Amino acid sequence: MKSIERTWKLNGTATTLRFPAGRRLLDLLREDLALTGAKEGCGEGECGACTVLIDNDPAVSCLIPAGQLPDGTTLLTIEGVEKKRAGRVLQKAFMETGAVQCGFCIPGMVLAAYALLQRNPKPSTAAIRTALAGNLCRCTGYVKIIAAVKLAAARLRKTSSTPG
Amino acid sequence: MKTKSRCNPTRHIGTGMLRVDAADKVRGKTQYLNDRTYPGALHATVVRSPTARGILKSLTLDPAYDWKGVTVATAEDIPGENVMVMHDRSMPLMGAVGAELRYRGEPVAVVAAATAEKSMEAADHVRLDIEQRPALLTLAEAIALFKKSPKKLELLKTQNIEKGDIRRGFAEADEVLEAEYWAGHQEQLYLENQGLIVFPRKDGSIYVEGSIQCPYFPVNELNAALDLPPEKIRVKQTPIGGAFGGKEDYPSMLAGYAALPALKAKKPVKITYERHEDMLFTPKRHPVWVRFKTGFKKDGTLTAIECDYILDGGAYLTISDVVMYRGILHCALAYRCENVLIRGKVARTNSMPNGAFRGFGAPQAIWGLESHIDAIAEKVGKRPDAYRLQIHARPGDRTPTGQLLTEDNGSTHCLDLVLQRSDFAEKFKQASRGKLRKGQNKYYGIGLSFFAHGSAFTGDGEAKFKAKGRVELALLEDGRPGVNIRVSSTEMGQGVHTIFTQIAADGLSLTPERIRFPYADTGMAPNSGPTVASRTTMVVGNVVYRAAQDLRNQIEAFASRRYFKGAAARMRHSKLHAKGFRALPFLRVARDMREELGEVNGAFQFILPDTVQWDQSRFKGDSYPGYSWSANVAEVEIDPLTLELTVTRVFDVIDIGRVINPMTATGQVEGGLTQALGYAVMEKMGTGKNGLFDASRLQTYIVPTALDVPNYDVKFVEYPYPFAPPGAKGLGELPMDGLAPAIANAIETAIGVRLRSLPITPEDLFNAVIPPA
Repeated sequence: MKSIERTWKLNGTATTLRFPAGRRLLDLLREDLALTGAKEGCGEGECGACTVLIDNDPAVSCLIPAGQLPDGTTLLTIEGVEKKRAGRVLQKAFMETGAVQCGFCIPGMVLAAYALLQRNPKPSTAAIRTALAGNLCRCTGYVKIIAAVKLAAARLRKTSSTPG
Repeated sequence: MKTKSRCNPTRHIGTGMLRVDAADKVRGKTQYLNDRTYPGALHATVVRSPTARGILKSLTLDPAYDWKGVTVATAEDIPGENVMVMHDRSMPLMGAVGAELRYRGEPVAVVAAATAEKSMEAADHVRLDIEQRPALLTLAEAIALFKKSPKKLELLKTQNIEKGDIRRGFAEADEVLEAEYWAGHQEQLYLENQGLIVFPRKDGSIYVEGSIQCPYFPVNELNAALDLPPEKIRVKQTPIGGAFGGKEDYPSMLAGYAALPALKAKKPVKITYERHEDMLFTPKRHPVWVRFKTGFKKDGTLTAIECDYILDGGAYLTISDVVMYRGILHCALAYRCENVLIRGKVARTNSMPNGAFRGFGAPQAIWGLESHIDAIAEKVGKRPDAYRLQIHARPGDRTPTGQLLTEDNGSTHCLDLVLQRSDFAEKFKQASRGKLRKGQNKYYGIGLSFFAHGSAFTGDGEAKFKAKGRVELALLEDGRPGVNIRVSSTEMGQGVHTIFTQIAADGLSLTPERIRFPYADTGMAPNSGPTVASRTTMVVGNVVYRAAQDLRNQIEAFASRRYFKGAAARMRHSKLHAKGFRALPFLRVARDMREELGEVNGAFQFILPDTVQWDQSRFKGDSYPGYSWSANVAEVEIDPLTLELTVTRVFDVIDIGRVINPMTATGQVEGGLTQALGYAVMEKMGTGKNGLFDASRLQTYIVPTALDVPNYDVKFVEYPYPFAPPGAKGLGELPMDGLAPAIANAIETAIGVRLRSLPITPEDLFNAVIPPA
C-alpha cells in the first residue's frame, strides 16, 4: 500500500508520521507510537474502547483509516488528556467515585467524558448517559462512571475561571 | 496524581478505601496482554472443525502453499495424552484424525507464524476431510427428544436431590401447579478478549502469562497432555480486562493450544482472539430448561417441589457437572418445603462446551423458581410479597440437602427491607395488568425476587481444598520494606487487590501504603484456589487476614527479643510498642528482621470446623460453608404502541456478611445487576442451523449501555460469617441471580402475561400482547 505523510497535533505536539494510507488509526497509535491506552475491544466500532478525540470529537479509532485525517488534525489520546486540567479532574473523579473496575473501557470513557465537558460544562444525567452511550462497560453498570462525570463537572464549574 | 484516601488510619475493613489500581487505569498506563511487546514471539491461529459433528478422515497441508516459517501443530504433536483433564477426562486437546469431532469450531490444529496475519493465511491452507454425522445442535432439540423418548437423550451427568417424600407431598396438596422455563446462552463479554502467551524454557518447562482468571488451572490441567509435572508449568496473570467466569475454564484450553506450536518451534507463541472468534468459540452461560411441579395447600404452604433442571452442556462435560450441582442446590433453596425432589441433568449437544459465567447455574435455577413462586402466589390469591414473607426460609430451617440455616442468615431482613424501600405493596396496586390505569400512558409493572446464593465451593470443596496463602516481608519498589500478599486470587476488576490490602493492613496493623498485592503468579504464590464461586473475599480473605496476623506475631516476637529485652511487643499503626520503651517504626524493624532472618513469611491454611459435613454420594448435608441472601424489586414501563420495555428502577438488598469495602461492593452489585438486565431483556445469542451463534459480534449481540441502566437502589445488611474473622460472605455472583425473574414478574403485572423464556425481547412482548394469528 502507498505510504503517505501527515503532520498532526498529537497530544499537543506537532507530530509527522509516515504510514500506509489505509492503516487503522488505532494500529498507528498502538504499534507505531506505543500509545497503548486506546484498546481494541471489538474492531467494529461498537464498544468504544479505542475512543480518541479527533478535533475534539470522540471517534472510534478502529474504524478510521489514518490517511483520512488531513494535516493539521488535532488528536487527543488518554496519554495526552492529563496535560489538560479537565482531564486530570476527570481522572481524579473516576478514582474517587469507584468508577474503575477492570479498567479496559476507562481510557475511552475518560475521553468521551472529556469531550462532553468541553461542549457542555453542566451536563444533565441524560446528557451524560447519551455522551457515554457509545462506550461499553461490562463491569460497573455505568452508575459510578456517570457519578464521576457529574463530580468532575461540578469541580470544574467551581474553578472555571482558572485557565486549563 | 494525589487523591486523598477516605480510609480510617487505624482500621480499613469496612471503609471505602480507594482502589489501589485505579490511578494507572485512568491514565491508560495499565499494560494488558496486548499492550505488551514480546519480541520474537510467534502468533498462532486455531484451525477449527467446520462442521458440528463428523469423523475427521484426514488433515493435510496444501502442497501449493509456502509453509516456510510456519509451525503447524496437530494432535500428533501432543507430547502426552490427547486430553483436557477438566472433570471427566473426556475432551481431547485437539481433534485427531480418525476421531469424532463434536462441535463446530473444535480445534484440530494450531498454526503459528511470525505475524498473526501470516498465521491466519496459513491456517486457511490446512485441508480437512470430514465425514459428516447427524448433529443435535440445541437444547430445544434435546428437550424435545427428552420429552418424547428420554432414554435417547445423551447425558453427560445426572444428580438428584431428595428430601422427605415427594409422593406424600403431592398427596397432601390441595393444588398442583406445573410450568416450564427456558433461558438461552449468555456471553460474558469481558471487554478484553481472551489471550495468553506460552514460553518454552530450556529445561523443558513452560511459562504462561495472560488474561487468566485461575492461574493454577492450567498448571494442573496440562500435565497429562504436555507430559509435564505441575512444577514445570508456571502461570502468571497479566492485568485482566474483565472475566466474569469466561476466563476460568477456557484459558487452560487456550494455553494447551499455544503450548503445542511453542514446544514444537521452541519459541514463545501468543494467541489472542478478536471479538468474533471469542464470541463464537469460547464457553457461554449454559442454556437451561427447568420444569417445576409444585404442590401446595389452599393457604399457599408448599407441600411438594418437584423439579427437572437440564443444562445444555455442549459437546463435552468440561466443568458442567459442578455448574449443574450449583443449579440444583438453588432450585428450592430459599423456601420452606418438607418434600423435595430435584433431578439435575447435563445434556450433550453438538455445540461449544458451555462453562463458567457469574452465577454458575444458580441464575438459571432462580429464574425458574422465582417466576414459579409468583405464579403460585397468584393461584392462591396472595400478593407476591406477602406470599414470600410467609414461606421463605429463615434461621432454624433446613435446606433441601438438610443443612441447618444458622443465625448468620439475613434472609428475612433482606425481604423486609427491599419491600419497605421500594414501597412494594403500594406500588403493586398501580400495576396495569394489561389495561392502562387512569393517568398512565405506559403499562406499569413491579416484580419481586428473593434468593440465597451458596458462598464458595459446593459441598466439601473448601474443606478438602484447604486454600493456602502467605504474606511476606519484602522490599517495595522504593527500596524500603513492606509486605507482599502472595495468594493466587486474580484481580480482574472486582477489586481484590484493594480489599486484600485492607484486610492485610488490619491483620498487621500496618498502613496500606506499605502493602502490595503482586499479580498472581504460581511461581510465587501458594494455591489459594481459583478466583470463582463468590469465595475469594470469604475464604481467601480469611487466609490473608490470618497470614497477616501470623506475620505480625513474628514481627512482635522479633521486636521483643531484639529491642525490648523480652518485654511484650505490640504492633499498632505501623509501629512496634513495648511498655517502658520508645516505639519503633515498622520500617526499621522490618529492615533489621530481613537482614537477620532473610525470608520472613506469615502463612495460613483455610480450615472449616468439623461441624460442617457433606456427603457427596448421597448429596446430603452442608452444601455450602455459608449463604448470602438477596431480594430484588424491579419496576418496568412498557409502551402500549411499540411495546418498548424500560426497566426504570431496581432495588437490591443484600446480606453478604461484613462489607469489606462499601464502594467496591456497591460497584460489584451495580455491574452484576446490569449483566442480569442484559440476560433478562437484551442478550440473545441464538443458535443457527449451522451450529454457530446467530449473534457473534457486538453489532448483533446487544448489551446494556449507559442509556439502558435503571436507577439502582443498593443496600447491604450485615450478618457476618462466623468462621472467618473479617466476617465476609460471598458477593460476586449475587447480583446476577435474581433480577431476570424480578423483571419477568414485573412484566406479568404490567401486561397480564407471564413470559417463560429468556431473554424477553420486544418481539416476545408483541407476541404476548398481540398473539400471532
